[in-house]
Order: sequence, then C-alpha cells, then structure tokens
Amino acid sequence: MTELLKIEWLKIKNYSAFIVLSLFFALGVVGANYAVYVFKTNVIDKSDPTPGLISSIKFYDFAHTWQTTSYVSGFLLLLPGLLLILLITNEFNFRTHRQNILDGWSRSEFFNVKLALVVIAALASTLLVFLTGLVFGFASGTSFSFENIEAVGYFFLKSLTYNMVALLFGVLIRKTGFAIGLYFVYMFFENFISALLEGLSFYLKVQNGFDIGNMGDYLPMNASDALLTFPKNVVTDMAKNSSVAPHTYSWLIFGLAILYLAIFYVWSRSRIIKTDL
Amino acid sequence: MAVLTVENLRKDYGRIQALKGVSFSVPEGAVFGILGPNGSGKTTLLGLITDILKPTAGSYKLFNEEPNESHRRQMGTFLETPNFYHYLSAVRNLRISAAIKQRGGDDIDRVIEVVNLTQRKDSRFSTYSLGMKQRLAIASCLLGNPNVLILDEPTNGLDPVGIAETRELIKKLHQQGKTIIMASHLLDEVEKVCTHVAILKKGELIAAGHVNDILANEDIVEISAADMNKLQQVAKTLSGYTNLKAEENILKLFYPLGTADLEQINRSFFEHGVVLNGLQVKKKSLESKFFELTN
Repeated sequence: MTELLKIEWLKIKNYSAFIVLSLFFALGVVGANYAVYVFKTNVIDKSDPTPGLISSIKFYDFAHTWQTTSYVSGFLLLLPGLLLILLITNEFNFRTHRQNILDGWSRSEFFNVKLALVVIAALASTLLVFLTGLVFGFASGTSFSFENIEAVGYFFLKSLTYNMVALLFGVLIRKTGFAIGLYFVYMFFENFISALLEGLSFYLKVQNGFDIGNMGDYLPMNASDALLTFPKNVVTDMAKNSSVAPHTYSWLIFGLAILYLAIFYVWSRSRIIKTDL
Repeated sequence: MAVLTVENLRKDYGRIQALKGVSFSVPEGAVFGILGPNGSGKTTLLGLITDILKPTAGSYKLFNEEPNESHRRQMGTFLETPNFYHYLSAVRNLRISAAIKQRGGDDIDRVIEVVNLTQRKDSRFSTYSLGMKQRLAIASCLLGNPNVLILDEPTNGLDPVGIAETRELIKKLHQQGKTIIMASHLLDEVEKVCTHVAILKKGELIAAGHVNDILANEDIVEISAADMNKLQQVAKTLSGYTNLKAEENILKLFYPLGTADLEQINRSFFEHGVVLNGLQVKKKSLESKFFELTN
C-alpha cells in the first residue's frame, strides 16, 4: 500500500486544487473556530440577554472545546469532499483510470488507493480539529482534559461519511461538474427530507405517543451529523427535555452511520471492480 | 509460445454485439495487425485483453497463463487515446507510469528522446499538440523496454514524418524480437509492418494468419481497346487468368502472382484482330483485398 500511496502522491502533489482546497480547509477550521471564540467572548458574553445564563457556558473550556471545535469544523467538511471528487473524476476525465490499469495496477489496487485517500483525508481533518481544539482549550485558560473527547471521534465518523459519499459520487458519475453539482444537490435534498421527517417524528410523538426517535437522523449523511452535537448547555437541555421532542437513540444512529459507510464501500468498490472502465 | 490466446471472446453492449466470439492466437515475435473498418471491434478486443472491459463470454490468456496485472506490467499498452494527467509534465507523467509498471524509472529520458520530445519534456501535457500527445503515449509504452507492445492506431494524428518514424520504430522493435499487437484501419500501415493479420468486420473475425496467406497478391492486367465488345469476346477465349472483370472502358484480367506475360497477352489480342490502346499490369492493392474481405 505504501508503494501505491507514493504513486498517488506523484499525482497529487503538483495539483493546484489540492493545495488551494487543503489550505482553505485548514484556514477555514482555524478561522471559523476563532470567529466563534471571538464572537462568544466579545459580543455574546458582554451583552448577554439572559444575564449569566449563556455567558456561563464556556464553549472552548476543556470540558467543551472538543465538542465545539468538532461541531463548528463539521460545516467545512464539504471542502475535503470536493477535493476528493476532483481527484477521482480527474482520473475519468483524463482516462488515466484506464492507463493505471493498462500500466499494471489491478482494479482493486486502483480502488484501494482511492479508499486510502478517503481515510487519510478523514484522519488529517480529524488531526487538524484535535490540534485546533487543543490550542483553543489552552487559550481559554483552562487545564487540559479529555472530557467529551468522543466528539472528535464523531467528527472522524462524519468526515469519513462525507468523503465516502464523495468517492461514491465520483465513481458513479465520473463527470466532475455533474458529480460536484449532485453532491451539493443531494446534501440539500437529504437535509430537506430530514427536516420533514423530523417534523413527522414530533407529530407522531405528540399525536400518537409513537416515538422511534427523530427519523430525520436516520438518513445517510444526517446520521453522522446527528452524533456531532453542539455542547450541552442550558438551552439544549431545555429543548431535549421538552415533552414534544422524540427520544434520541444514539446507538441506533451510530449503527446506521456505520451501515451506510459499509454500503458506500461495497457500492463504489463493485462499480470499479465489476464494470467496464 | 503464444503471447496472447483469445478464445471465443464476446462483448455485448446492450443489444449491440461489438465482438461476436473471436478466437485466434498471437505467436511470440510477431507484428500482429488487427485490421478492420471503424466500429469493427478492434479497440473492444484490445480493451478486453487488458481488463479495461469485461467480456460477456469467452476467455483469453497472456503468455499461456491466466491473465493478471503482472502480465500487464510486462507489456507497453496504448489504447485508443493518450491518457495522461493534463496538469503534469511529460516527465512527471512518465514517472507515474514507470512506478506502476515497477520498471523503467531510469528509462524516462531515453524513451522521450526516441519520440523526439526531449525539448518539451518539462512542458505540461495540456500544452501538447495532438501529435505530441500521441508520441508521449508511444514513449510510455517503451518504458522499461517491454517484450510485448499493444498499440491501438499508433499513427493516428501524427504528421507524415511521425508516421514514417513510428513505422521504422515498429520495424526496429520487431527486429529486436519484440511482439507487437497493433490495431489499425490503415491497410497500408499493416501491409508495411505486419507479419500477421486478423481481419475484423462488425465484430466477427473474417480471417487470421500470416500476412502472405491472408493477403496473397495477384497480378491484375488492365487492358483497353477502341472496340470494348470485341475486346471482351476475345478475352474470353484466352486462358491463364483466374478472373475477368469488365469496367467502363477497361477490362481487368486477374492472374496468379507473377504469371502475367504482357507480351504474350498483347500478341494474342493482335492475332485476333484487336489492337490494344492500353495495357498495364497492376499489383492488387491490399485495399481492394480488404474491401473484398469486408464487403
């Protein structure tokens, strides 16, 4: 695999979109968290409409920093997804996916190295989030703690999901513009359906006392989104404990997120292995 | 040893049968031309034997073994179009190919020189002309000096000098004992460089074997006279030719290769009271043979 990755690196290192998008993402993660940090301390805390209530929550204290950084950075995961779509559809546009096979890769080697990119991109994003969380935690003047560190794990899961969807769209659609367009359209569409399902879940609970959780969280990308929540605070607790909100079955959401990843894997792999290139 | 053995290979695209059960084998050291008009299944065939396409039925062997990727690393393959990363230079593109082939990393400058791209080796592929892209694809095939080359329309898009150079290159590789499998619709090209030929028509194999067996030439004697009717009557009384074809203002007599005697023909007609105003022998071109085989 090291050999395969070395070859993949030859393709990537001189690709300008790789450099630009990686930089955007890195700056975006740090910048977005910095913006939240500054806005919270300088604006919200100073003009707290609920004296003492909101300003009492410290987003970047060590008890919360992992969760806040992961949650805020999660919105930027479209960028690595975009980069992966580019890297995958480039192969189809340049027909180098054929040349790689002609030159002596097996089809599964071609797929495996792309899958490795997906995982590496997720790991790199997670490492960035971990470091950002660490820096902001110390900047808040609190002492180091691993409390709520599982949020970084959920960020990894979310990142992996976004990247796997990118891989699947790239492999299925092949055309760069279409793949990127549909990636966004799909995300919008899924969020729209998710919102409808959420409404339905509330309705069923209130009207029929029927509660199987928020069904909006059971969709492919929303499942991994749902695990990554904003730090618990007075406001979220109020929402959660209200009698109209459906119960959150975290284990079910987690199981579904893993199941979807497995489906993306099998689907994109079989596409490369079994069909004409 | 057979470099390639194809057994009853079939490929359907929906209801279209691109290749209808083709079988043949390519002996080591051959320059094997796959000849056929556009859409006859040449590229499909090459795609199948390189695992780019999946066959509907049938099988093939490389080097007498079940095919796998290690066989492909021993071949230089150029299929349909030059496939390179547009944003990388020639050298960087070849580094990738060489690394995948696990051979020929130190061979890059040599192959670039062979195809005359040394001056532009650090330019991005996207700045290349069609002919230069084609040359780079040929260079890539030569990486690591493989014993088998698969070339799909290698002279497509090349200028006349490039075509001649490529032809010389193929002849040179043949002399070194390399096996070359080459698809082409250019009969001239096949006639000039190939030792063996397989002819495809609408996905069917019409003929395969040694060039001289498949494309045996004939002498064609073209004659004309003022009175074409008389000419034809007399011609029918003559012997020695295998076929006679009357065209407007011209009569064609087909003789086995090397047996047409123009003096004798001229004398025969004169003795029968016909004065020829045109008499010449033409070698049957591969082109007409090709049309005959594929029509």
